[in-house]
Amino acid sequence: MNSNALCFGEDLPATGMPCHVEVSAVGLMVRFGDVAPDSGGPPVPFDALAVFAGGLNHDQLVVRWGNGSDARTVYLKDPALIRAFRAAAPPDLTRDLEATAAKVRQARMRQRTVWAVAAGAAGALALVLWLGSDLVVAFAVDRIPPAWEQKLGEAAYRDFLLQQSVVREGPAVTAVHDIVQRLSEKIPDNPYTFEVAVVKSDVVNAFALPGGYVVVFTGLMKKAESGEEVAGVLSHELNHVLQRHGLERIVKQLGLAAVVTIVLGDQQGLIGLMKQVGVELLTLKFGREQETEADVTGLRLLHRAKIDPAGMIRFFDRLSEQDKERVEILSTHPMSESRAARLKEEVAALPKQMPEPFEFDWKTVQGALGGSESVRP
Amino acid sequence: MKSEILYPGAFPMVRVELAAGETIKAESGAMVASSPTVDIESKMEGGFLGALSRKLLSGEKFFFQTLRASRGPGEVLLAPTVPGEIVILELDGLNEYMVQKDGFLAGAESVKIESQMQSFSRGLLGGEGFFILKISGTGALILNSFGAIHRIDLKPDQEYIVDNSHLVAWSATTSYNIERAASGWVASFTSGEGFVCRFRGPGVAYIQSRNPGSFGAWIRQFIPVSE
Ligand SMILES: [Zn+2]
Repeated sequence: MNSNALCFGEDLPATGMPCHVEVSAVGLMVRFGDVAPDSGGPPVPFDALAVFAGGLNHDQLVVRWGNGSDARTVYLKDPALIRAFRAAAPPDLTRDLEATAAKVRQARMRQRTVWAVAAGAAGALALVLWLGSDLVVAFAVDRIPPAWEQKLGEAAYRDFLLQQSVVREGPAVTAVHDIVQRLSEKIPDNPYTFEVAVVKSDVVNAFALPGGYVVVFTGLMKKAESGEEVAGVLSHELNHVLQRHGLERIVKQLGLAAVVTIVLGDQQGLIGLMKQVGVELLTLKFGREQETEADVTGLRLLHRAKIDPAGMIRFFDRLSEQDKERVEILSTHPMSESRAARLKEEVAALPKQMPEPFEFDWKTVQGALGGSESVRP
Repeated sequence: MKSEILYPGAFPMVRVELAAGETIKAESGAMVASSPTVDIESKMEGGFLGALSRKLLSGEKFFFQTLRASRGPGEVLLAPTVPGEIVILELDGLNEYMVQKDGFLAGAESVKIESQMQSFSRGLLGGEGFFILKISGTGALILNSFGAIHRIDLKPDQEYIVDNSHLVAWSATTSYNIERAASGWVASFTSGEGFVCRFRGPGVAYIQSRNPGSFGAWIRQFIPVSE
């Protein structure tokens, strides 16, 4: 008798025992090797069976019965046999199986889609490189839930703060929180909860990590002559977060593999990829178009929050007249003539309104920062 | 066809006896010596596109060779490129094996070899490339490994975790997931090291006792860099 299935169990070999399976009206007849056809014992009734799809590609029908060391697992892969089983078994036994089969078909479809996408992506690579990959990147970035982004940003943020001296309280912290509060109130449907840290350092800079983690250095606050100037920088940084510029850069850096992984919702793959760039998050540089976008949307946000948008322009203008080498934020945000012109144009285009001053007094804030460096006029 | 492992251990060779007209599929380059009655036919398994895509996506050799005892019975001596054990599995038509691309040495005529695409993430993360070989049919399947070959037996639902780069072959009744190893995975992301396969029985997995990638890295430190 030809074997058409493999039977597994505690006392059977790991490669399975070849067996002959037959489907009857009441259950499954399983016979081993040279046992005579009529001595296989009674069929295992359908109500004793559990059924699921198994094997590497979920393309085998797995039938299981019995308990403990007597448990038997049979792998069927002969399509005719599987059809016969599905036809004869009561619906409540095969219902799960049909669901599994549907899932397997779906998975297979998905895999096929994956490969189609991968093949399409490979084929389109030249085109993409030629047209610029912005559309593809945007498409992929759209598919990353903010929660993943937050996880990524948070890890980098906490790591960074561990190595820094963080200002925990005092007027500077209050002022920065006030600014972020006023700005974030004016962001409709904001998926992010901004977290801000003031870090004691002469570095004149501020940055935002994906997911809404913002760092302001006291060096920047000392250089600023008003809360509006700091608000200008922060509004710009928050808009990098809102526009998901960090993710765009990451996806661009990682290239096609990331895009495909993200589009397919392959969480495992993406976390691997993202974790790998997590290390580089802090040195991420935005592109010129992203800076322009953050400038424009940043100014609009300031305007909505009734904060004088001219502060931002003043801040960058004044700094660029100073010793540029020592002002870190200018290395990532150079105040070119075209940038200045664009900012001024944008401010001029906003409807006029009376700005509302901040509740904190900027001189007090700066006074509390102490000084290794005096405030320059 | 009768096959026998000569010099078992690190530097083995396989002697395959072929009846008149019988053939064997061997990895190209595996043939060491043969009787004058044996001819080599280079045939592209899976057609030209199959061979081409295997070549492109897994970097594996373009052809399997078919060795045919066309002018009377004869024997063939086969050996792998790397030092390591050889194992002969007798396929019964029921058990199917997935074989990592470097693990295949030879197979009987009635052994069927298919390139199978893995799911994209398995291919990306697994380090065995996007294609693996799915081997079914009946007759002798000859595998080779880097280092010693070790067989892991899995009962139903029994799990086992194997470093990806140590995988040689596993039965199709197992299921597996690729997972990140606990640490050290960042640096080795591209090489696939640091990823592990969690196998779930029933079935068997054949693993090799040496990691080709790590060995390569170890060797490289002794190769003088030209200025
Ligand atoms: Zn910016």
